[in-house]
Amino acid sequence: MNREEIASRVNELLSTGFEIPKEKLVPTANLFADLGLDSLDAVDMLVYLEENLKIKVQGERLISVRTVEDVYVLVDEIVNQKTHLTTELKPEAQLEGQPQIS
Amino acid sequence: MKVVITGMGAVTSLGLNADEMFKGMLANRSGVKQFPEWKQYVGLRSFLGAPVAEYDIMKISRTARRSMSKMSEMAVLATIEAIGQADLIPGKTLNSPRVILIQGSTAGSPFVFETYYKKLFERGGPEGQLSTSFFKVMNHSVPANVASALGFHGALLSPSSACATSAQAMILGWELINAGLYDIVIAGGADELHYTSTSVFDIVHAASRGYNDRPDEAPRPFDRARDGLVVSEGAGIVVMESEASARSRGVREIAEFRGGAYLCDGTHMSQSSAPTMAEVMRIALKRAGMEADDIGYVNAHATGTVQGDQEETKAINEVFGNHTPVSSLKGHLGHTLAACGAIEVISSIKMMREGVLIPTRNLKDIDPECAEVDHVQEKRSAHTHAVLSNNFAFGGMNASLVISQPRGEV
Repeated sequence: MNREEIASRVNELLSTGFEIPKEKLVPTANLFADLGLDSLDAVDMLVYLEENLKIKVQGERLISVRTVEDVYVLVDEIVNQKTHLTTELKPEAQLEGQPQIS
Repeated sequence: MKVVITGMGAVTSLGLNADEMFKGMLANRSGVKQFPEWKQYVGLRSFLGAPVAEYDIMKISRTARRSMSKMSEMAVLATIEAIGQADLIPGKTLNSPRVILIQGSTAGSPFVFETYYKKLFERGGPEGQLSTSFFKVMNHSVPANVASALGFHGALLSPSSACATSAQAMILGWELINAGLYDIVIAGGADELHYTSTSVFDIVHAASRGYNDRPDEAPRPFDRARDGLVVSEGAGIVVMESEASARSRGVREIAEFRGGAYLCDGTHMSQSSAPTMAEVMRIALKRAGMEADDIGYVNAHATGTVQGDQEETKAINEVFGNHTPVSSLKGHLGHTLAACGAIEVISSIKMMREGVLIPTRNLKDIDPECAEVDHVQEKRSAHTHAVLSNNFAFGGMNASLVISQPRGEV
């Protein structure tokens, strides 16, 4: 998922989950001061992100999230990390079919 | 001390406000519908319910609504209607140390209980639970959410006694006003329809099973062919206040709350008992300062169960003889559980004001075991001054209360 796709998915989740008009979902918008979310919403945002994007977010990571852009970055980091791990694992997977040398 | 009713609000299967509900009753409409999708639940044999029609939830702000299940949403709408009529303004006259909110439900949201525990068991722990789930299942979910939606800053209590909940809330309110502790009480209850609520009654053979293909014909209080109750949903809220408060605020007195009583059987969890029912009616009359002959109509709890209707008939006959008109509104609305007490008070007030008695819907062939009272089977014109209304609940709960027309108007 590239940054554009991430932004689109995150915006969709914020819009449907918290009834935020899409035009307000600009990267610089503060989730709390501009979009009216609070601590309960932050917990639920994490659940929506995890369940819809199939990712696992450490709760502590949310502490530094303030803007919509911060959410994009958080998701991007996690997704990229997953991509990185998958890439790392690929050579091992490819080895599985090769004859064992003993 | 005189306690008057100055506001009423109702959200039911017959309409989204008290007037619509009463129009539905006058037109002899039924709110009961089929729920064929419930056939998937193993062991359930009653597939009827009386759901509330879709309403505009956007009237409630997102931050207030996110912690609400349907029962709280309906309670908010009914409370807005009731306080509007009583001219209590959120943020202004509503917020007073002399105002108390007393509302309840049978339990927390059955929908959320189901989804919460399903996910909990699937995941082996609380992972993935929404932060707001608890606020929908806690015992005081209804009044806490109403307070949050209206910005109510004041005293709040949440009595819970299943089908007697809102009757108890109103009687408690009357007691508190009489004790001089509060001037205004916003009392009532709400519950939402879910198959587990029907299951509770079905498992003890108290839910209707024989009319699954004829929803219009169930429940049938007092009828020979009755076979159980039909669970429904809704909210009923009344504003009660001291006569002095109503007069000083210049609001219209719709009715007078004369008194009431609640009494626990202490004998059986599910079987009602005519002697205790009669006793609670007598205590209610005494506390209201009235005699049985002063009562022009008895609004029976009668849900359409074989045993309950029979016991209530015996009790009414013991207290009133067979000359006082009696009807039950469960044939129109089904059983709104925690909401029924307030909904039935609102309906009874409208009957008094309109000079009409609403009949028991689906009562065609009176059960000989329920015959010893004056059943209202057709709409009847009547100038009724005072009404006694009953509500009984699992747990051996019995509640009875008396309302009348404002004394100044008689």
